[in-house]
Amino acid sequence: MTPKGVPSNTQARMPLRNYRILDLSRIWAGPYCTKLLADMGAEVVKLESLSVYDSHRGPVNPAPGIAAYPDSDPGERPWNRNGWFNCLHMSKYGISLEITGEEGKRVFDQLVSVSDVLVENFRQGSLARLGYDYETLRRLRPDLIYVSMPAFGNNGPWQKYVAYGIGQEQLSGMAHMTGYPDEGPMKSGINHGDPITGAHAAGVVLAALRWRRRTGKGMFIDVSQQESAVALIGGEVLAYQITGEEPKRQGNHSPHFAPHNAYQCAGDDRWVTISVATDAQWRALAGIAGGTSLSEDARFATAAGRLENQEELDQLISRWTAGKDAYAVSHQLQQAGVPSSPVMHGPDLLEDPHYRDRGTFVSVNHEQVGPKMYPGTPFRMSATQGEVRWAAPALGQHNRLVYGDLLGLDDEEIDGLEERGVIGTKPTGSRII
Amino acid sequence: MRNCNWQGPMAQWLSRHWSRRTGGPAAELVNQPSNIGEAAGLLEGVKVLDLTHYLAGPYCTKLLSSLGAEVVKVERPGGDPMRRFGPLVSTMTLRQAEVQTRDSSDPDDGNDAGAWFLYLNTSKKSLTLDLKSDKGRDIARQLAASSDIVVENFAPGAMNKLGLGYEELRKTNPALVMTSISNYGQTGPYRDWKATEINLYAAGGLMNITGEPDMPPLKEGAPLAQLGAGQVAFAATMGALMYAEETGEGQHIDVSIAEYATNILENALMQYSYSGIEFTRVGNRGYGRAAWGIYPCQDGYVGIIAGPDTRWPAVAEIMEREELADPRFESRNGRMINADEVDALMLPWLLDHDKVDIFKAGQDRGLGFAYVATMQDILDMEQLNARDYFVELGDPDQGGLMYPGAPMKLFINGDGDRSLSPRPGKGQVGWVYRSAPSLGQHTEETLSGRLGINESEISGLRSLGVLG
Repeated sequence: MTPKGVPSNTQARMPLRNYRILDLSRIWAGPYCTKLLADMGAEVVKLESLSVYDSHRGPVNPAPGIAAYPDSDPGERPWNRNGWFNCLHMSKYGISLEITGEEGKRVFDQLVSVSDVLVENFRQGSLARLGYDYETLRRLRPDLIYVSMPAFGNNGPWQKYVAYGIGQEQLSGMAHMTGYPDEGPMKSGINHGDPITGAHAAGVVLAALRWRRRTGKGMFIDVSQQESAVALIGGEVLAYQITGEEPKRQGNHSPHFAPHNAYQCAGDDRWVTISVATDAQWRALAGIAGGTSLSEDARFATAAGRLENQEELDQLISRWTAGKDAYAVSHQLQQAGVPSSPVMHGPDLLEDPHYRDRGTFVSVNHEQVGPKMYPGTPFRMSATQGEVRWAAPALGQHNRLVYGDLLGLDDEEIDGLEERGVIGTKPTGSRII
Repeated sequence: MRNCNWQGPMAQWLSRHWSRRTGGPAAELVNQPSNIGEAAGLLEGVKVLDLTHYLAGPYCTKLLSSLGAEVVKVERPGGDPMRRFGPLVSTMTLRQAEVQTRDSSDPDDGNDAGAWFLYLNTSKKSLTLDLKSDKGRDIARQLAASSDIVVENFAPGAMNKLGLGYEELRKTNPALVMTSISNYGQTGPYRDWKATEINLYAAGGLMNITGEPDMPPLKEGAPLAQLGAGQVAFAATMGALMYAEETGEGQHIDVSIAEYATNILENALMQYSYSGIEFTRVGNRGYGRAAWGIYPCQDGYVGIIAGPDTRWPAVAEIMEREELADPRFESRNGRMINADEVDALMLPWLLDHDKVDIFKAGQDRGLGFAYVATMQDILDMEQLNARDYFVELGDPDQGGLMYPGAPMKLFINGDGDRSLSPRPGKGQVGWVYRSAPSLGQHTEETLSGRLGINESEISGLRSLGVLG
């Protein structure tokens, strides 16, 4: 099963070439899980409803001027032109199916029976209300690995509660320790809870597939997105129990090292980060930024002294970086072994020589968007390099491929499904959070 | 865990917690559930040689060890520097200072461990080995020959210099999966750049978009770039292990922490790629939305997440302010245009109510409200406790600790288990949790058990300083 225009042996040497993932997940947490699996060659079949499609596709009739669309133009079929969606679903197959009616359920049953893994992140219990609890799914596919990732897991007093990535940053404790000194907690620039859960789930799904290979047994994987996010601040949970003190919001400072901050440079909102972890790095920095008067200043000779006098250090360094180019500062400091990097903006990332050299971002030609740059795979694998194999699917783009080649329905049957609105390529509604 | 000073409200909380449990606290908690047969964890039998330190590598191998893989952590004499750090927690610095004033040859040093070390190294074995010595490198090579996976996060090139590079190790073990995690990756112009977390956020594009527009870019409090890179390294390692077991062909995985950060920018990058319009800092008014972020309340901070639009009228009801039902605020765009007015209408009610009550008031009406949880809030959270999230490790008489446990729960379709719906009391099935090892705790066991080195050879190695 290969989409038009894609070489048929594209998966041949990829690690997960033998596995099929039925992906009912939406937004980011679930799709990041299946993205990582698709990056390694899994056959990910993303199933959407025409009435409640993945809200990352945006509204059916968005207001003009939204920057998520190519040149801020939603176009005729905006649901296929949204960058939020298109960066998370490359190398996946896109199908549509209404599973509320009997006919759709029969098709869905077939899809489950030929899938190794099913992933969903609906509100808790939604799939069961449609008639598909784990017991039912197991009857369709006895060794199925069913990954269910509602916000708070599948049991307990909060199981029906909902949360988005932004809320998980707060409920996991991440927001509590992020912020400027003496000010309130701050959200990150992304919805950080989502990719954390997606990455955890991707690895655990593979451990479960390996277990299945050895035992023949599938399993139910119950993911609380919140539990998954708390796992990334675990050390702070222990530190609090040891000291009895809550973590403090320290802006860009470190409790251990100084200087440790972002310093303003020449240009509009240009900054450079510098962090000094050792005395040798300090001497190198001081020599460059202040000469002997600074490198021999006894107040700054030790880590404790630098921490104690870090406000003054920050001022001294800011005076030195002011008017300088952020990249030039980083290159100069790195030459001397001092940790430093520019605070990169979007354009910097796409043009940066390092990221270009590594192929961090890849150009992908989406039929309804044209060639654009996307983040590629977050790992390099020497024998089975994962790669972006094709652009994110338009809504229902691979219906004929999946229902025909995979399930063996003939054209007449597929036409019938389309006529009766069980499948299709045009939304019948959208519910956007 | 011997030197944990037990202070503050936690002692009370913990004693309450323990008393709820039958059978009392266990020094070490290993789940050996009957429904996964003899195996304690999903990855039982997988052998991992762990040459990692600090954060990113150890989180990758923690996920492996927590799933039951045998992870042998090779530590330099003196141990993983992380043993002496409690990053991001200022009060841990005091403890660190105490440790540093000790004689570094004190054999007890290995039992002092910062909070993050303890957290990141559960269920691992510790082998002290001086990789600067020929004998030490030889032992590492022998262990790699009989391992399925090697994970390392030295500076790029260091493994080659030690004679432990992938090309060298694959000669004796062609199925080996070797995973390298580094700041900027094994290739490229910044390969040798030094970095700490703040530099990686900045170079990865996350920092530019975090914080207030008229303030400096802000890093996040927790080391999420390094830990996230550890996560994707874990996923890639598992994929490569599957492939190696099917084909006999191993491989080398290269994960860059900064590159991982660029992979999770989502719309913050795509917006620029698609339309040329840069994404910038928006403070707590996330993604061009109002009533979509963090607000102060009576006892802390809450997350007001006013979506979808159809549920906005519920916000006016909850906050008992008819003005909030004004049609001008009904749409996402309308709320954004009138953001200050919306905030001013919500604040009086918020400041008069507690975070958990506000959270539940929203959730009971289908709104994804949240609250900014403190560490105490997390330990107290009814949902986490109902789901047996925490794992208790260490000797409680000496100050045992509640650890965040399995990041997801496994219900395994086994013969002996006919009741597969999720329920409490099965929090850690398929996962394994043991306290982080003291430095060199498993040196003898590993050398004799894995390599057949006898007692007198071990004391010989010890007198040469190879074993720290």
